Parts: sequence; C-alpha cells; structure tokens
Amino acid sequence: MQANMKWLDDPRVFRVGQLDAHSDHSFFAGETDYAAGSSALCQCLDGKWRFAYAVNLAARPAGFYKPDFDFSHFDEIDVPCHIEMAGYDTIHYTNVLYPWEGKQYVRPPFSGLPGAKMDGMFSEAEYSPVGCYVLPFDLAPALRGKRVTIRFEGVEQAMFLWLNGQFIGYAEDTFTPSEFDLTDAIRETGNVLAVQVHKRSSAAFLEDQDFFRFFGIFRSVKLFGLPRLHADDLHVVPDVNLDTLAGRVSVSLKLSGETDGAKADVRVLDGGKCVASAACGVADGCARADIAMPEAVTLWENHNPKLYTLEIRLYSKDGVLTEVVPQRFGFRKIEIAGGIIKFNGKRLILNGVNRHEWSMRGGRVISDADEIWDIECFKRNHINAVRTCHYPDRLSWYRRCDEAGIYMMAEVNLETHGSWFSGPVWNVPGSFPEWEAAVLDRAKTQYETLKNHTAILFWSLGNESYAGEALAKMNAYYKAADPTRLVHYEGVANAPQYKDRISDVESRMYATPEDIRRYLTEEAKKPYLLCEYMHCMGNSLGGFDSYHKLVDEFPAMHGGFIWDYIDQALLVHDEATGRDVLRYGGDFDDRSSEYEFSCNGIVFADRTEKPAIQEVRYFYGLHD
Amino acid sequence: MDCTTEKLRIVYGDATLGVIAPKFRVIFSYRTGGIESLRYDGKEWVYRTPRPTFWRAMTDNDRGCRFHLRSGCWLGADMFLDCTGKRVSIDGKAIALPEPPENNKYTGDETAETVAITYTHTTQTVPATTVAVTYTVTADRIAVHAHFCGKAGLPELPVFGMRFVMPTMATGFDYEGLSGETYPDRKCGGVHGVYHVDGLPVTPYVVPQECGMHMDTDWVAVTRDSVQDNAVHTRTPSTLRFVRDGEKFAFSCLPYTAEEMENATHHEELPPARRTVLCINGAVRGVGGIDSWHTDVEPPYHVSAEQDHDVRFAIVF
Repeated sequence: MQANMKWLDDPRVFRVGQLDAHSDHSFFAGETDYAAGSSALCQCLDGKWRFAYAVNLAARPAGFYKPDFDFSHFDEIDVPCHIEMAGYDTIHYTNVLYPWEGKQYVRPPFSGLPGAKMDGMFSEAEYSPVGCYVLPFDLAPALRGKRVTIRFEGVEQAMFLWLNGQFIGYAEDTFTPSEFDLTDAIRETGNVLAVQVHKRSSAAFLEDQDFFRFFGIFRSVKLFGLPRLHADDLHVVPDVNLDTLAGRVSVSLKLSGETDGAKADVRVLDGGKCVASAACGVADGCARADIAMPEAVTLWENHNPKLYTLEIRLYSKDGVLTEVVPQRFGFRKIEIAGGIIKFNGKRLILNGVNRHEWSMRGGRVISDADEIWDIECFKRNHINAVRTCHYPDRLSWYRRCDEAGIYMMAEVNLETHGSWFSGPVWNVPGSFPEWEAAVLDRAKTQYETLKNHTAILFWSLGNESYAGEALAKMNAYYKAADPTRLVHYEGVANAPQYKDRISDVESRMYATPEDIRRYLTEEAKKPYLLCEYMHCMGNSLGGFDSYHKLVDEFPAMHGGFIWDYIDQALLVHDEATGRDVLRYGGDFDDRSSEYEFSCNGIVFADRTEKPAIQEVRYFYGLHD
Repeated sequence: MDCTTEKLRIVYGDATLGVIAPKFRVIFSYRTGGIESLRYDGKEWVYRTPRPTFWRAMTDNDRGCRFHLRSGCWLGADMFLDCTGKRVSIDGKAIALPEPPENNKYTGDETAETVAITYTHTTQTVPATTVAVTYTVTADRIAVHAHFCGKAGLPELPVFGMRFVMPTMATGFDYEGLSGETYPDRKCGGVHGVYHVDGLPVTPYVVPQECGMHMDTDWVAVTRDSVQDNAVHTRTPSTLRFVRDGEKFAFSCLPYTAEEMENATHHEELPPARRTVLCINGAVRGVGGIDSWHTDVEPPYHVSAEQDHDVRFAIVF
C-alpha cells in the first residue's frame, strides 16, 4: 500500500495499517524480567532524531522516507518534544476559534456548506506544516527474531509511517497510542524509521480544545518484541457484592502467535500472596477465567485504594513459559440508584479538578516527576477526582490514579467548539455519517486501551462538541461495551432532544448556584454534576461556599471538577530583564489568540500552589 | 527638645501643621491633603501623602464581567483626588485653620493632648462625592478614620480604604488575621493566626492583577531597614504597627500601586520594586469565580458606592 496525502483532507480516513487498540498491560518474557520489573522486550526510541521542518507538503524534502535518502543535512530534534518548542513554527494559543481563523476559509467536508471542500484542504494548503522525522536504529538483541510492533504514545496531529522505505501506516487521534506491526519490514540492524507529522488534517476539526496548538511526536515511542505466544489484549472485570463483599474477577485474553494448545495460568495475589487461581485452555485464540475470591474483598476507594494483582502466565503447547502479564485491579462499584450516583453503595461526592497535561518547560510534554507532584498535590488538598480534559493522558497517569485512589472521568479526545459556538449553524461530527467513524474510533480506542483501570468511573464522550447522532452512537458504544461504568457528556445540554440517548448524568459547566438549584428542585431527571466549575483564572475561586451548600442540600448534587488544575503558560527568557518569565497566548506573535485565558489553574504553571488552593483544601476537606 | 512629657508639641507652620510626640513626629500638609511626613524610629515612613483609595488592579474576573467598564471612573478617582476641605481641632476644640496669617498668633510653645485634623476630598466622578479623613494624634498613636459618603448614581466600588506609600521597600510584614490571600468571598479556608511574610510578594498571576489581600485583620506591622536619607549609612530594622480601631480591616502590602499593577500585562513589565504600598481597607469587592467571561461576583460581595463606608485603624508607636 502507498501513502496517500489526501487522507489528510478526508475525515473518513483516520487509521490505516494500525493495529487494533488493546489494553495497556505490560508483559515480560519470563520470571526474571518480571521480578526485576523491567522488560527487555521493550525498546524505547526516545532521544535525538533527525528532523526537517517544512511549511507545507510541497516544501517537504521529497522522498525523505526512502532508504537511500541522504538525511545528513537534517537537524536534530528531541523525541518527545513539540515541534514549536524546538523552534520551528509559531507557538499558538487559541481557544474556541479554529487555528486557521482569519487566515484560511475552512469549512468541513460533507457539511453541505457552500465553502466545504475536501481535496487539498490541508494537503495542498499554503500553510500546513510538516515535520519529517528520521531515526536510524538497530533492533535490541532481545527483540530480534520476534514479531515487532511500534507504539507511538502521542503524535499530534496526523502521521504517516515508513520503515526502511516501506509504507507502514497512517494515524490520527493525537492523544491515544498508535500502534503498527513492523515485523515484515524490520531488520536486526540498519533500520531507518521515517515519520511524517502534520499540524493540519481533518482531525483538526475534532481537536479544537482550548489549549496551545502544537504538533509533533510529544510522547514516547517504543518498540515491542512479542513473545511467540503473546497476550494482545487483556480484559479484567472485577465484580463485588456490596452486601457480602464477595468478589469475582473475570479475565479475558486475546492471544496471538502460537496459540494452538496453549494454556494460561491465572493467579490473584493480595499483597504478594496468591489467594486464588485458575488454569485455562486457549480456544480460537482466546482464554477466559472466572475466579471467585476466597474471602471477603477490600473495596477500592479514595482513602484506601486497595489493589489486587492478577498474574497471568502463558505457556506454549510444549509447556514453555512464554510471557508473564501482571495487571493490578480493584473491586469497586459505581451505579445510579434512586437518582443518586452510588459508589461502593454510598453517595459519590466528586472533589474534582480538570487536569490538562502541562509543563511550563515542555508544554504537553510532561515528566513522571510532574505526575507524582500532581498526585501529591491532589492528596494534600483533598482532591479525589480528575477529569482528563479533554483527551486521554499519558498511560502512566491512569496507573498512578489507580494506585492513589483518584476517581477518573476519562475523556475522549474530542472537541469541536469552533464548529458551533456561534450557534449550531454548522457542527461536526453532528449527524454526518462521514464524521461518525472517526469519533467512534476515538471512543473505542480510549475504551480498549484503558478499560482495565479501576480508577476510571466515567467515560466522557468529549468536550463542547454539541450533540447529534455521532455523539449518541458514541454513548451507545460505551453503554454496550462497558456496563461497569457511567457515561458522561455535558454538550447534550445544548441539544436537549438527545438527552434520553446521551449521558447518564446531568452535567453542566459554569452553572450558577441558582441554575443548579432550579434543576435539582424542578427537573432532576438525572444525577447532577459540574464537569467544570469555579473558573480559577487569575485571582478567582470566590463563592465556593454557594456550591458547597448545594452539595450538602441535594443528594443528587455530586459536586464537580474545578476548572482547572494548572495554568498553561510557557517559560521564556526575557531579553529586557534577563529573567526567565512566563508567557501566554499572543506572546509569540500568535494570532488569533485568547491571550491569558489558558491560565486558570489552582496551581501556577511552575507547579506552585495558587493562594486560592487553601479554599479548595477547606471545602473539599469538608467532604473528604 | 524636651520630649519626655506626654504632651504633644505643636508647630503651627506656614504650610503645615507639625506635631511632635514623645516617640514620633508627624507633619500634616495643607497643600497635599494629608500626612507629608511621619518620622519614627529614625526613619521617614511617608513617601507621598497617604490618600483614600478606590481602585484595585482589575482581576481577570472583573474584566470578564465588564466591571471595569461600569466602574472605570474609580480609577481616575484613585489617581486624581482633590482635597477640598481642612479642619483642625486641638484637645477636642475646633480652631480656625492655622494657615498664614492665622498662625502668626502662635509662639511655638503650644502643647496639647490631642490634635485632630480632618481632610475632605472630593472625587473626580459624576456625580462627585466626598471622603473625610480624620487623623487624631495622641501621645502614642495616630488614629485614622476615613468616611466615604455614598451617593446615588455612583457605580460600584472595587475597594475603599487608605493607601500608604512608604519611601523604601519593606523587608517583610507581620499580621494577625487570616492565613494566605483572602477576599470577602474567598476566606473560609483562611485560618486565624499571627503570620510573618518575608518581603513584599506579588502573587504571580500571569497577568498582574489585584492580589495579596488579607481579610479580617487585627493588626499589621511593616518592617523596613532602609531609608532614602543620604545621611544614614546603616541598615537597622524598624517596625510600624497599624492596629484596628473597632472593626477588623483588610489590607494588602505590596511594592506597587494598583495603577502600576493595572498597567502591566506581564510581571517583568512591572517597575523594579522599591517602595512599600500598604492599603488598609474597610470595603473590598469579592473576586468571584463562577466564570471569567460573564458572571459578576455574587451580590453579597459587591461594594455599593451608593452607601457609606468607613475604615478605622490606628498607627501605634
């Protein structure tokens, strides 16, 4: 197959040659690696790559992905890194308005609007930046002779991939892993990986989040060597009877490789001690176990995030251990009963924040230390919940929330605010069939990747994307795929005719206390929460008490998520004062901008707490 | 000069009224509309005459709800204030304003137990209103009372209080009140106590704006170790204390005026920090938080300019 640049223009094309999304479980070649906690089967490709920037496709170094291409004149760039932060292309912050505002007249294809066109919309645009990445590499010894996959954990906003001149695939959806099978194209040594990354594509319509608009490989890239018998996907579904605390865990595996005659040994460990186990055979590449816990289980919750460990060992037909897959999980239950969200049988109260991934030095390239600091900040300020606004985060963040007992609202990478803010004159995905598959794929990818994370209590369909058939189908997808969690979407408030089909909860943003009281006293069809409230821009967060009183007064008022956790500002050296200072939208000559509107955190961009956080600590502490 | 008695000595100057107390000396100006000099513990404490203050640097939420467009006249009132009246009383008895030639009747030997001077200021607003500021000096304190006359038709106030600008930057301040930065609608989390703050921190909101307020304060004590006086060659710390005289007050202690803050879009645009700006307020508008683009601060936290407001405190020595 050949790469086709017109895919950039076509919303119907968003994944080509990608592996199906699957659980984010880790896997080890044997007991030694597992005990050490490091897998030789994973080769991280982060580091210096070769790079060339072009303002549009026509200006890109022609054939840069071909094996005989001489890239000795290419620059060097860090992976991961935003291309803008490396000094190519303008750093740009815009909120609702699409980034082409005032520069290019763009209307989405299939929308029926007179300005709508498709071919060449981005692929032939004068301004449509391209990053050409090249990485020469040798395969690590442990991966040689094995099936090899590559996982891009975050590439903004569309990418084409070649290995040794062979086209591998195409991916959109910036914030979920994009994975490809390299087995047929890879060599033990002398490989050349080429990635062409685009700032503009039809995905731009779906990624109109209120944030800095970057592009590039901004999360890790990893190679995986797959054992000859390998668990492609793992699905762990714990269940608990809240009266008796009797627990069961159902385990489903999808295997690949030498599955004939294979066996899986499944154990449940509590604090290192095996408390239950099952052995199961493999049929049609699948294995299942349903394990009853021998004693009453301890529930997972914010103050006691009790996790059990599942250990799965795969044995080939000849009885050889090929893979160890560990997966931590907790027993917890979320449901709606009597119009109230019950968590482990008790009314759920969300002391939440919206969290963008942010670092003043790296933008959305953040570190483990940043995540650890954030969890500690949550804990000391009685924050018990996080909404991953408005896209899936780094995989490590979900694991940390599992371990810390942080209740997650996991949001699909979807926002189309610029398509309807002036009234629903035009809106994607709306009810356009041509846009449906892309957003359903985003929902599915999020679910399949993150389904085993105990911390996720809500799937959120996205943010500020209005509502139509596409959103209704996303809702139906989650309801069918996952009966163990609730579905959230706020945007249906703007299209109430879809309320019966979208969102298990009544969600609002920035509702006044009076509006909330009105809903809870006059309407109250669904439990209520605020997916965004207490807009903490600058010196703000006054009047928290008015919301807190509603939580006390109305059982169906479940609290919400403060907007938001951290200021999105960037550290820049100021020539005039010689100081390193924080800059925001418009400070990079970027227009159209919404300037300081990206700075609404309860912590500053340098991860120091804003004064207002003592108010958060106080009110969230009352319901902790 | 004999400063051992508890009597105040009065200097009926040609443009000022000087009061010499055992531990301090204060000069009230007839020209500038207030205290021109306050000498205490070897230091000058007044850079320019303290004035009533009406403005705070707009917050993002203020701008979002267009408060600045409704109440922008208070910025002008804060910057340009006309002193339109002066009254002096000695030991509780009003005297003719001792400007020349009236002051020629005095000898230089006058003393008193209480000297009070009231300045009336008229705001540059439409309609105009007045603020009366009374300083009552006794042997160990200067009591300050500022009274704002509400007037129908005036837009809401950002703040009402008194602003003291000291000649050099403080090394820090101590206060008894609530922890952290608090506002009328954001003080539930504040814990009452005695706190020390090093330096004059400006809260680093990306766009400089109103910050550093401390609600429900019993007293604040500002410490400086530097002066502008060329004849002074050492740095020794001195502390000036402001205590409540009745109701608790709100204060902020920053190196900048509201106007300097208002004018900056980034912190690096603020001038080098060199002074101490202490605002002691009797009324403070809330900061709000429902949103930053439309909704006003909740009604209980507005400051009506159609009603009277007061702030009372004393500088104690």
